[in-house]
Amino acid sequence: MESTQNENFCIEAGFLDNALVMIAVLDEKGRVVSWNHAAETITGYSREEVFGSNAVWKNLYPDRDYRKSVTQKIANILKTKNSFENLETSILTRSGKTHIILWNTKKIDAGGLSRAIAVGMDITAEREASAFRENIIDNAFVLITVIDPDGKIQVWNKAAEMITGYSPDEVIGHRDIWKKLYPDAEYRRSITQKISRIISEHNHFENLETIIRTKNGDPRIISWNTRQIGAGGIYHEIAIARDITEQRKAEDALVAYMTEMTMRLKQPVGIISTTLLESADLIKQGMLTQQEIILMLEGQARNATQIEANIRQFQSAIVEKNRSIPEAYRKFLER
Amino acid sequence: MPDIIDPEELEQKKIFLILASPGTIRQRNIEIIKEVSTLGYHTVVITTNFPYSILTKLYAQNGIPSTRVSFIDAVTRNSIGNVENIPGVVRYINNPANLTDMGIAVTEVLKDHSGKKICIMYDSVSTMLIYLSSANISKFIHFVTNKLRLMDISGVFLAVEKGLDPMLMTQLTTFVDNVVDMG
Repeated sequence: MESTQNENFCIEAGFLDNALVMIAVLDEKGRVVSWNHAAETITGYSREEVFGSNAVWKNLYPDRDYRKSVTQKIANILKTKNSFENLETSILTRSGKTHIILWNTKKIDAGGLSRAIAVGMDITAEREASAFRENIIDNAFVLITVIDPDGKIQVWNKAAEMITGYSPDEVIGHRDIWKKLYPDAEYRRSITQKISRIISEHNHFENLETIIRTKNGDPRIISWNTRQIGAGGIYHEIAIARDITEQRKAEDALVAYMTEMTMRLKQPVGIISTTLLESADLIKQGMLTQQEIILMLEGQARNATQIEANIRQFQSAIVEKNRSIPEAYRKFLER
Repeated sequence: MPDIIDPEELEQKKIFLILASPGTIRQRNIEIIKEVSTLGYHTVVITTNFPYSILTKLYAQNGIPSTRVSFIDAVTRNSIGNVENIPGVVRYINNPANLTDMGIAVTEVLKDHSGKKICIMYDSVSTMLIYLSSANISKFIHFVTNKLRLMDISGVFLAVEKGLDPMLMTQLTTFVDNVVDMG
């Protein structure tokens, strides 16, 4: 196996070994002529094991079809140029772990020998972190969208799709989602003006409530929060929103119910009190027979009993409507 | 003392919502019946708080001829049990929450007095709130006012002032022609 003077020099100088990226020098048949320490660490295969052979690629790409596709891809690139950049592949390490490697290669002529230098950056952790972030964004229970400086949507998570009915495919890369969500031009204009005013004053807004129209035409009340993210003069807007339609409905229902019950409790108590006073007056005047006195008293007792039943109904309705009531209060109300 | 009910409007078979304070609502009831009786009307009182027997005494005490008033009584039968209706005078229903029976009673009493100048008085919306939701009361009053308009009969609904929530108040206001707040 021939090694060029440069290769020996590099190895001797510790240039390859000290690199933080995987570096492999290959001959024209793909045989390894150099394999640095990072390559050993990442793949788990030592320099001695891989040197002079191209068998390591079978180990790194054990799936024949995948290996074939990677080889084909590389061959296609090298037909037109003698290097490629940022080719992402998945390798299987000796310990059985999958790593994602971002490859950059260059063909060189080393003293009459054709060599390919392959530099592989292990981006597994970065990809995992990115996938984790995307997963969090995608699975968040709130609508998350990111808008680029041109107003185009960059991120549209699952909750956004669930709430609005519009899929990421329909939204990402486009600007027209807002027209779809706010089809009424007048309302859209008023919202835009409000947002512009708030943004110009604070750069962000909190709990801005708007009513959107979903894809199937249903109105939903949405509470929006935004922040600017980015650096270097390029800023994106991240908007996080909650669908508060059901919450609003529950609140409205609760207010309506409380109003109703106030009306049905306060006034009847006043009626009982007035009726009893009037009855007392009629009794004083000697206008009522004993049967009529009983009739009046029983009637008001019945009214009072009904009011008590109404209060119980009111208590259970409050408990039913608001599950966040603390346990102790809930028990009291349920009595 | 000025009229609570404008005679001309009564003649036009209008429907009124009279709001009065809890302490004066009984007195307003008597005054209105006195007024409409004087104008030659026969009043059908739907009572949900005071029994027929006591109201007749109160009316007599205030000079209202008993022949000018008949009753749908939703109080007495609830206490005494089975009391017989007196044709042309009083029709009992079991309790104020039984709107079906009340609706039938209204229809039948109006039939009993067909040909007469009739005014229906409903005393009171407020007492009904003990037994019924505002939605049901609203539906019932809508039913009664429609019936009155179809039969060309005037009507008066009594309620305690400031006791109705804005929603019910708005609904009742749309069913009647005039709201008179007696404070």
